[in-house]
Formats: sequence, C-alpha cells, structure tokens
Amino acid sequence: MERAGTHGEMTLTGEKRDWTHSLQDMRQQAAIAAKVFIQRDYTNGTVCQFQTKFPSELETRIDKQQFEETVRTLNNLYAEAEKLGGSSYLEGCLACLTAYTIFLCMETHYEKVLKKIAKFIQEQNDKIYAPRGLLLTDPIERGLRVVEVTIFEDRSLGR
Amino acid sequence: MPNSVGKRFKPTKYIPVSTAATLLVGSTTLFFVFTCPWLTKAISPGVPLYNGVVFLFVLANFSMATFMDPGVFPRAEEDEDKDDDFRAPLYKNVEIKGIQVRMKWCATCHFYRPPRCSHCSVCDNCVEDFDHHCPWVNNCIGRRNYRYFFLFLLSLSIHMVGVFSFGLLFVLHHMERLGTLHTTITLVVMCIAGLFFIPVMGLTGFHMVLVARGRTTNEQVTGKFRGGVNPFTQGCCGNIKYVLCAPLVPRYTGVDPRKKPPVSIQPPFIRPDISDRQISIKVSDNGIHTSILRSKSKISLDGLALDDKGLDTQPPLPPKADRYNQLKSQLTSSKDSSLTGKTHPSTPAMYKYRPSFGTIPKVHYNAAGEKIVMPDDHRKASAILEEGRCHVDYRSEPNLDLPDYHNAPLHRTFQSSPLQLDSYLINSRSLSLKQAHQRRDKGQLPTLQPETATSTPYKSVFSPNTLSNRNGSLSYDSLLNPSISPATEAECMAHPGMPSMGFHTPYLPTKMCHVRGPELQSQRQQVPPSFSPMLGSRGIGMSMSRQSPLDRDPSPVRYDNLSKTIMASIQERKEMEEKEKLLLHHAGHSQAQAYNQAQDSGMFDSPTPPAYGGSRDNLMGVVSYGPRTPVLRSSGGSSLVRAPRTSSSSLHTDSSMQGGRASEPSYRSPAHQPHHSPAMPQSPSYTHQKLSFIHALERTDSPRLGGPREAMMQSKVNGQTDCHLGPNSSSAQGNPLSPSRHSNVKKVTGVGGTTYEISV
Repeated sequence: MERAGTHGEMTLTGEKRDWTHSLQDMRQQAAIAAKVFIQRDYTNGTVCQFQTKFPSELETRIDKQQFEETVRTLNNLYAEAEKLGGSSYLEGCLACLTAYTIFLCMETHYEKVLKKIAKFIQEQNDKIYAPRGLLLTDPIERGLRVVEVTIFEDRSLGR
Repeated sequence: MPNSVGKRFKPTKYIPVSTAATLLVGSTTLFFVFTCPWLTKAISPGVPLYNGVVFLFVLANFSMATFMDPGVFPRAEEDEDKDDDFRAPLYKNVEIKGIQVRMKWCATCHFYRPPRCSHCSVCDNCVEDFDHHCPWVNNCIGRRNYRYFFLFLLSLSIHMVGVFSFGLLFVLHHMERLGTLHTTITLVVMCIAGLFFIPVMGLTGFHMVLVARGRTTNEQVTGKFRGGVNPFTQGCCGNIKYVLCAPLVPRYTGVDPRKKPPVSIQPPFIRPDISDRQISIKVSDNGIHTSILRSKSKISLDGLALDDKGLDTQPPLPPKADRYNQLKSQLTSSKDSSLTGKTHPSTPAMYKYRPSFGTIPKVHYNAAGEKIVMPDDHRKASAILEEGRCHVDYRSEPNLDLPDYHNAPLHRTFQSSPLQLDSYLINSRSLSLKQAHQRRDKGQLPTLQPETATSTPYKSVFSPNTLSNRNGSLSYDSLLNPSISPATEAECMAHPGMPSMGFHTPYLPTKMCHVRGPELQSQRQQVPPSFSPMLGSRGIGMSMSRQSPLDRDPSPVRYDNLSKTIMASIQERKEMEEKEKLLLHHAGHSQAQAYNQAQDSGMFDSPTPPAYGGSRDNLMGVVSYGPRTPVLRSSGGSSLVRAPRTSSSSLHTDSSMQGGRASEPSYRSPAHQPHHSPAMPQSPSYTHQKLSFIHALERTDSPRLGGPREAMMQSKVNGQTDCHLGPNSSSAQGNPLSPSRHSNVKKVTGVGGTTYEISV
C-alpha cells in the first residue's frame, strides 16, 4: 500500500504537472466570446456577395473601414470567380469535347479563385483580425452562405 | 443488404436509373452491332462515327448528371443557427432587384434557404438553385449539374432521332427480310426509341423554355413567378449563356477543413482608434442593468435592404447572463433589437425574443475606452452634456442593480449628430454597450474632449444604421410624428429628464420603443423632465423622436409569426380590455380603462391599418389607444375616436399623423398583431400618448389633457381598445399633448406581461 501510495503520489504529481501544463496551454489561447455571421447580400440575385454592413458587435474591435474593405475584396473575388467570361466558356467547351474527363486533371477557374480567396482570408486573419481577437472563417465551409467572424474574449482587460 | 444507422439501402430508388441506363446503353449497343455495319457500307462510315460521338456525349452528360453533386448545402453548424431556431420566423424577406423574395427556414438544415434553394425530401438536403429531383438519374438537379442534365436531354433527343432515322433507313431497305435478326433487332430498337421519343422530347422542349426564361422547374411548377416578374432572369441570351457557359462551382460538402496553419489569437488585442475629431461620449451605467443579450447577430437579410430596414444589429448587446438573469425582459428587448437586425426587417423584433442568455457567450467590450464618440458637434454637444448631467438620476428603477453597477451611475451624454437620429441611436448603443461592461465608475459628467473611444465605429455605424434603423424600426418612422422638428428635438434633448435609455423593454420590440420615443419626447417637452426612464422605451422613444423628422420608409416588418404565447396574451388582453371597458362604461372610470389600455398597448393589439406604409402602423393604433385616452384633448378628437377599428387612415386628420389608424376593425389574426406593436405613434402626440400609456395608471394629468373625460367617453363609446383616440384626438387638437407629470411610480405592463415600475 505504501508503495502504491507513493507511487500514486508520484503519479499524481506527474499528472498534475501535465494537467497544469495543459491548463496553461488552454489559458494561452483565447476563448471564444461570440460569433457574428455576415450574411449574403442578395440584392443582385444569386451572385455570391456578402453584406458589407458593419455588424455592431465588431464596433469595438475593428475599424469599420477595414472590415468593409475586407468584405468588399471578398465580394470582388467571388464576382471574379463567377464571371461568365471567355475563360469559363472555353473551359466549358473543352470539358464538353473531352467528355468532362478534363475535370479529373484540371482545376476549374472557380476553384482557382477559391484558392485565392482562401489565401486572402488567411492573410487577413494573420495580419488584421487575429491581432484584434477576431477570426474570419472561409465562407466555403458554410456553403457560401455566411462569413463567420469569431470574436474572442479579451481577457487582458479582465473581461 | 447493409443497414447502416442512417441510411438504408433502398433498392427501389435505383430502379428508374437502372432502367434508364440499361435501355440507353443496351439499345445503342444493339444499334451499333446490328444496324451500323450495314449503314457503314451503305451510306458512309461517318454514320457510326457520328452516332458514336453523340452517344458518348449522351453518356458523359448522363454520368455527370447522375454523379455530380447538385450543389448541396452542408448543414448549418449549431452556433450559426442558435439565433434562428428558437422562435425564429418561418420566412424572411429579401429584396432581389426590387422584388420581394421569401426565404424559408429549413428545419432540417438549420438555415434560411437562400433564394432558389429548396430542400429535396428524397436526398434530404437543401440544394442550391434546386430544379427537381430526377429519378432517371437518381439525383437532384441543381446549380452544379443543371447544365449537364440539360445537355443530356438535348443529346439524348438528338441521339434518339438519329437512331430512329437510321434504323428506319435500315428497315426500309430490308423490308423483304423483316424476319431476320438484324432487322428484328433494329425494329425493336426503333420501337424503344419511338416509345421514349415523346416524353424525352417533351421534357427537352420544356427545359428549353425554362432555360430561355431563366426559371427552374421548381419555380415553374409551383407557379412562383406566374404573372410576376422573375428577379433571377438575365434576359433570354443571358440565361442561355448562364446555363451553358457559367463556371462550375465547386462543391460545398466534403470541403476539407482547410489545413491552414492555425492562427494564434491571444490577448491583448488591438482596439480601433477613435479619431480626434470625434467627441467621446461617456456612457455610464444607468443603473438599469439589463443584461444585454448579445445575439449572434447575423447581419441578416436586413442588410439586404440596408436603407430600409434598419435595426439590424443595433445596440450591440453582449449578454451577461450570469448577472442579469433577472433582467431577462429587458434583455429581450435589446435582443429583439439586435435580433431584428438579424432577421429580416419584416420580422418584428418582437418575436425574436429569446431569453436564452445562458447560452450566449458574453461579448466583452473594451471597458477601458468605452466611450461613444459622436461626430463632433460642439454646440449641440454641450446641450447634450447638460442634459446628460441632469438626468443622471432617473434611473431608479427597476432596481436591478447588480453589485457591479451600482457604483457607476450611468451618464449618458448625447450629442446631436448631424443626423439627429444618430445621437439617439448612439445613446442607446452606448447604453447597451456600457451595460455590457463592468461599468467603470464614471459618475462624472461626460466630457467633451475628444477621447479615444469607440466613436469611429459608432459614427460609421450610425449613419447607415440610423437610416436603416429608421426604416426598420420605423415603419414606425412613418408613424412617428413627422412634425417633430429638429428644434423640438433639440429641445427634447436638452431636457434633463430625457431618458437616455438605450435599451428597450424586453417585451417591446425595439421599434415599439422607438415609436414611443416621439411620444415621450413631445410629452417631455411640455412637462419638465425628470421622468424616470421607462425601461428602455423612453430612450428608444428618444431615438425615435429624433428620427421622426427624418425621412421614413415604411419598413416591411411583418409579424406573421408572432409566437403563440404572445398571441395568446394579446388575446387575453383584449378580452380584458373589453371587460374593462364595460366596467368603465359603468363606472365611468377612465383610469381603469386607461390602465387597461396601457397594458394592452404593451401588447400587440389589434392592428389598425397602417396609415403610413407599414404594418406597424396598426400597432400604433393599437398601442395608442391606451395612452390616448388620457391625452385626449379636444372634443374634436372624439370624432376621430369614433373611428374605431373600422376606419383606418381616415382617422388621422392632421398632418402629424397619428397613426390614427385607429381603425382597424377587428382584431386581426394574431399573425398581424405584432405588426402593430412597432407601429408606434409617429406624431408627437403619439409619443405623448405613449408616455401617458406609461402613466396610464396615473391619470393625474387630466387637466392638461383637456378632456380626459372626453377621451374616456370616447373610449367607452368605442369599446374598442385599439386606437381609439389617441393620436386621432391629439391630432385633432393639433397640439402636442403635454405629458403628465408623474412623480409616482407607475406600473407599466410591457409586452409579454412584464410589469415595470417606472418612477417618474
């Protein structure tokens, strides 16, 4: 029993250390305070556009101009992706001719722009939003329905 | 047969597609084997080549139509739909190119279906640009695979025509040997082709028309645009181009959670700077600690009609569930306001009420610099300051002080912004913001110095918001007394008693509160301030009155889906009212009646036909009936009063519109009732009335009313609680009613039965 006790103590301590350590890790990362959802703007039909209206929850976190700039850029990127231009037409023709086998090897125009958008969002998060305790989620993960902005708790102010 | 938990293997659903595939491949193979050799010899080798190409095209499109994801929306995650699920209205309206389109809430997928999206019961998914579920390919036809389906139909038609004609050619040349194998098989193939020719050609023709018109099968079959305009059409050529040449949209489901490097987010966080030019407004806690429920405001579709509907994400209301549980009601109102923003404007804030703050995470604002910076306007600012100073004390009740807050009397400094509305909104916002935080104990007077504060966001937020707010909350705007002049407002501002309440009574939609504003204001003008703030409503009234001079667009708020409980309570109240009226009639007690009415006005009463463009107006009529009685001034009003629900707009006689709609004839269906609540009075008299509604119990101000008796009588005559007099009478009088001065505590019943005690 003693051995067990000792062993238990030792184990406990070890566990405690791990536990404390992981707790510290948890404390390092901010907790999610709230989420804001930027909805789609359907005034121009079903083209993928997001509302540029500045949500009130973000008022204290980020500049309105900055936010609107982000959303506008996103909108422009999506417009570019959905553009019915020469490239999309050519792509369609080529796909037809190859019995759509070309989709197995080639990336469509939309997918290319989506990659660009993902990069853009990542960059915005790193540079602008994360330092402000916000995080943008790529809308493609939500089916292009909403842009999710996660607001993190600002613990430094004791709130 | 494997039986997984979720999906069972249903062989029956594969029968049509198997049949179609078998027929297609089988027949064509037979054609190639038995008919083509002769054709090659007799006509040219180009025949099988041509047929081969066409058949390949048919197969490719068939495969794409069958196996391609039509544009399935992944289910919404929990945190996204939290706001929408409980008590969410079933429909949201969105304006697309000027046409109102309805978005329905999908209970399975937990989001409002985007336009043209529909839920397929076979696949149990919401599909984007849903066309139909095709059993022959055993797949939904949606945005991503419509083109392939259409091309499949086209190519299949061409293929069938080709096979039939070449088969006919073969048979005609082999008439004398019809019994031979080749001929027989060719005949069989021809029969199959001929048999399916009509349905396939019919379907092809149908889809050609649909493509030219830019409609989906679903829209055509349900008659959505029958006789109307299709907002999705881009012209015939545009539609064809869209179908054939649009880029292929990647699928939404099965998107790998982007293996991006995790972004580390750690405090301290940068806060936005406030420009120097802006004057900061300090908002301290006013003692009324409503847990401001912060809704995950989806800047909802309201944003679609930004200019019209406003009220989206208006006062940010971080919930403090742990502290303010008792302030649920208040919270609700704020939540409503924020929720309103979230829902489409047509949705009344009212029934977005969800006191579920336990689940909503808190939003922590930066308490350090929590000031609302208004666009600087020193001149007005000073006026506001003074005003702010004066009315620090009216926050008395309800005494929901929490330990954190009692030490920080909330001061609100209002500054008139270029848009007068702004200040009110800002006030409400600041209040709500302040409430959200640990209020610093800033009991001091607000300062005018430009301090860094969250002014920038406010400023910018306000401009569009005010507009939207105006519209949204305000279909009340239309109701609001347009005659409130800026001067008046400024006056009101200067009123010490001006409630700077930014939050709304929980049970009243923001709009309602807003509607009240004008009333309050007008009342205030005449009566020395020192109102104890009615929870939220006055403050809102303030903003409303500010807004009134501004243009208002009727906001298409609809209260179709008012929750049953609210409807029930409204009905109860109505019955109560009726009883009261009878009593009053006998007793001749205006007070009781007024009280009832006041109570009733808290509820959405029977709607009165909006005089100004908004269904809300109805509510105005309804609401106003309470306060109206006390404010009836002149006998002229009585005639107006007579106009019971039946007459609508005819009631209002004067320009200050009163929402006179007193008329709404009968109690509309509950669905309409909520409409009315926001329809708060527009005219100052309304505001006034609202206030009196608050004081309904008091009736001490009869003298100033110049005829409470009349009002009483009229109300008795009307027997109808809604809109009896109120704005009508006041409008008849043409002078704003002076708010009664009430020094005692008033009990006001808010929507939903909450009773507030307001000390004036």
